[in-house]
Amino acid sequence: MSLTSSPFPRRGLLAGMGAAGAALGLAACGSGSESGATPKSDESHKDFVMTVWGGEADKAAYQARIDLAKEKFPDYTITLQLIPSENYEQKVQTMISSKTGPDIMQVAENVNVYASKKQLVPIDDYLSQGGLDLESTFGPVGANYAWDGATYGVPDRSGAMVLYYNKDLFDEAGVDYPSADWDWDAFLDAAKKLTDPAKGQFGFGGVGWWPQWFSLVAQNGGNVLDPESGAPGVNSPEAVEALQFAYDLYFTHKVAPTSVDYSNMGPDMGADGAFQQGLVAMNATGFWGVGGNAAIEGLNWDIAPFFHGAQQAVSAFGSALVIPTAAKNPQGSFEIIQFLTSAEGQAPIADKGQDVPANLELQESDTFLDPEWLEADVDLQAFPDSADMIFTPKFIPEWNEMQKAIEDAMASFWLGESDAQATADDLQGRLERVIKPTK
Amino acid sequence: MTTAVVPVAADAAGRESAPGRRRPRPRLAPHRRREALFFYLFISPWAIGFLVFLLGPMIFSFYLSFTDWDSFTAPVWVGLDNYITLLTDDPIFLKVMGNTAFYSLISVPLGMVVSLFIANLLNKKVRFRKLFRTLVYLPHLIPIVAVALIFQMVFAPEAGPLNQALALIGIEGPNWLMDARWVKPALILMSLWQAGGGTILLLAGMNGIPKELYEAAEIDGASGFRQFWSVTFPQLTPVIFFNLIMGIIGSFQVFAQVFILTGGGPDNASQMAVPMLFDEAFRFYHMGYGSAIAWILFVVIMIFTAIAFATSGRWVFYESEVRS
Amino acid sequence: MSATTTLPAASGAARRTRPRTLSAFRGGPFTYGMLVILSAIFMVPLVFVVSIALASDSTVSTGQLTILPRDWQFSNFVEIFRTSLPVGRFMINSVIIAVTSAIGQVLSSSLVGYAFARLRAPGKKGLFLIVIATMMVPAQITMIPQFWIFSELGWVDTFLPLIVPQFFSNAFNIFLVRQFVTRIPYEMDEAASIDGLGFFGIYVRLILPMMSPILIAIAIFTLTAMWGDFMGPLIYINSEEKMPLALGVQYLTSTSQELQTPPWNLIMVGSIFLSLPMIVIYYFGQKYMYEMNLSAGSAGVK
Repeated sequence: MSLTSSPFPRRGLLAGMGAAGAALGLAACGSGSESGATPKSDESHKDFVMTVWGGEADKAAYQARIDLAKEKFPDYTITLQLIPSENYEQKVQTMISSKTGPDIMQVAENVNVYASKKQLVPIDDYLSQGGLDLESTFGPVGANYAWDGATYGVPDRSGAMVLYYNKDLFDEAGVDYPSADWDWDAFLDAAKKLTDPAKGQFGFGGVGWWPQWFSLVAQNGGNVLDPESGAPGVNSPEAVEALQFAYDLYFTHKVAPTSVDYSNMGPDMGADGAFQQGLVAMNATGFWGVGGNAAIEGLNWDIAPFFHGAQQAVSAFGSALVIPTAAKNPQGSFEIIQFLTSAEGQAPIADKGQDVPANLELQESDTFLDPEWLEADVDLQAFPDSADMIFTPKFIPEWNEMQKAIEDAMASFWLGESDAQATADDLQGRLERVIKPTK
Repeated sequence: MTTAVVPVAADAAGRESAPGRRRPRPRLAPHRRREALFFYLFISPWAIGFLVFLLGPMIFSFYLSFTDWDSFTAPVWVGLDNYITLLTDDPIFLKVMGNTAFYSLISVPLGMVVSLFIANLLNKKVRFRKLFRTLVYLPHLIPIVAVALIFQMVFAPEAGPLNQALALIGIEGPNWLMDARWVKPALILMSLWQAGGGTILLLAGMNGIPKELYEAAEIDGASGFRQFWSVTFPQLTPVIFFNLIMGIIGSFQVFAQVFILTGGGPDNASQMAVPMLFDEAFRFYHMGYGSAIAWILFVVIMIFTAIAFATSGRWVFYESEVRS
Repeated sequence: MSATTTLPAASGAARRTRPRTLSAFRGGPFTYGMLVILSAIFMVPLVFVVSIALASDSTVSTGQLTILPRDWQFSNFVEIFRTSLPVGRFMINSVIIAVTSAIGQVLSSSLVGYAFARLRAPGKKGLFLIVIATMMVPAQITMIPQFWIFSELGWVDTFLPLIVPQFFSNAFNIFLVRQFVTRIPYEMDEAASIDGLGFFGIYVRLILPMMSPILIAIAIFTLTAMWGDFMGPLIYINSEEKMPLALGVQYLTSTSQELQTPPWNLIMVGSIFLSLPMIVIYYFGQKYMYEMNLSAGSAGVK
């Protein structure tokens, strides 16, 4: 058992002290918790850790960008730490709560979990010093990453949800290809014509995921979350009407597969897979569908901006880069972020087909629109064309709780077991329980 | 192993208790002091590990259960609020505890019967025995992501092999994972599929049963079932008891299967205690609330385990006393 | 029961030969029938995993996953090494972590379990209760404070937080050893003690050899658990070159968006790399777990 004596070479104080963990914990979380204001920058600190989530493709794109940043800042060491998506929040939470957080961090809808708890550095001063105007550089998403009057994040990736369509199925049914001019009626009409139960073919992939039905609610003039206060409003007449439209797609017109239909198609089956199999003629999803569809031989497809209702509104999938308060040199972190989010720094996102870069200049350049990795004849212009329609639900700190409430309350709705009004009322009650609106 | 010749009659053990049991015990006579000293010395690896790595975190989580803590800013003392909210005002907690108890109380006994049945089959001298034994253990060796994907397919309402098999005998199978009434039975079925894990210890235990007992039983003309019931089973009870306790503790803390396969849905019909506390602590940043769930769960497991221990004297037979 | 009172021959070599298999160990048609049916059920996952591992990218992407293989894309097994992730390094790390942990658990648990089964001391009952109770606190809840301890020790991004605790035994294994040691008649200890063996001597020379099947079981359990664990490495390991395979497979599963289809074929290839060594170890390890005749009455320690 010689090993039993060796584990404590560094801190004798811990050995054998049962309550050490508790005392330590209290100290660790007590100290520094008050700090929320801009911390002092230690400009001599030149080692940066950047945490991002994703898989292997994401790693390649981020690493390429960091390599560019290293050329730009030769005396900085920037370490990329890739964390599997499902575990990202947990790992980051553990790191931050034990004061070992990163210097640059990727966030998405969960940004205000950290911002509201004073774990992020407000960057307004840095923005004006660095001359970075978020609104003009990134469009409407530039305003997404703010909380309580302060800005915390610089948009990094931002791709609107677009409508993928199967040209062959459209031609067969004699339906015109979709366009941004489509309203709900035009869409529904096409979806009906594209549905053929005999072939197991559906017109549309469905709206069961929040970015999809949130868009419908917003198009109808409703708000699941109030844009100012974040208060839930899912049982407003506009929202209920949108939910009813969704309900009818599945159960009245039967133009979209229900979750039961999907589970019969195969394990882990969803609209993306069904679209690629030709079982679904239209599918509203994000940029990743481009790479996925392009890999399918014989699939003849293109994309168009999402249709509109009374108004234009479409969700987007994006993320931003932020500076945690634990960062030792926030000034340096910001310099790196500013570079990474420039057209030059985001170029690998487009080059490698990872995602839609948030930078509008880059989004409208050929680097993004006509990339080498994409051989299929697809008009990526749909992404920049959608940029102005993007609506973003308020990123409330209770975002994850909201997701859980939605999932719970709507389980029976998507199976056709409960109607739009009852579901909306039930969901509203659950949301009111978890969401504390700001005034 | 030739040092100690031990002239022990095989069946003396098991029937009579070890003679050491009722010996008078002088209070810490020198040899007893030595024995106690060795006891403390021998358990020191556990004791040190417990004190250094576990006790602190446990105390801290107990403290947290009386606070509101988002894991970033300082914890705020709220007294018994978390416990009171959980037990009187939480919309799902009681349902979740009910689900957990339902899962545990059905999957543990069923799992034990299945694993005993399989172990008994695998203890016979059959051809390809090693292969069969490996196959039975296989469900434990496949990563849970893969297992979850497989079961999404198995439980598919129309295309799934399970419902197709049921259709053959004229039963219309339910929509397992999306039906609030059937999602828990589905999880229990999945746990039974993994029951082969319990066979390892049972087989190791069966191997230790003296063959003479079976010889004698055969001479007495006992049937196969009779032999199992009066020889195999009593001899295995310490292992069965171990499996029971671990089954209780493990099933009350079921996590990955639920988290990955159903996510607790639909509408919390399959939500269990640990996935719920995980959500609270790591998705919603209610560390204090999550800790309170953990400690209520701790008490519940403690009660069920204590019941199991209390009954053990009646049906668990040790060759030699567990001495205290 | 008279037959059993005969003391078997003193030497293992001269063990009485049994001319026929006892009825309890004979496998009839029912046994074979059940085994075939059960094995088929238990086999399904392996077949499924293999069939997806052999699927082409487009089959995966379109979600056409079936139990029997549709394609035979053996190149997937090579492909996994072509990703930017150092899969070979992952495997070495897994071996280091799992093997060291297994050694740690076998050494520490056997000693502690033996003490709880055999040695008498004041407070033992209470301590045993604590051992059992430690299993009842969900591990998730102690994770953050534990991370603080290891990060204060400066052990983050090393194998130490994963390996070192294994040298302090765990409740499961202690309880397991205790249950098995109680199967060994205490008279053997007494006899050994008359022969002049101390407690440590009894442990090393008498109990340890008789426990070997259960120690092998513990080794296999520990290997399997550590080999497959990704939560511990996820929390403690930051650098890629220190990650074990289970965490690596988690990276393969990961996509940057929730609804993106993960590369199931590579995940299953990873799953095979994760499962196969354990299957092989279990297949060959059984011999030592089940085939040695160590029962107290009939053979073994002489």
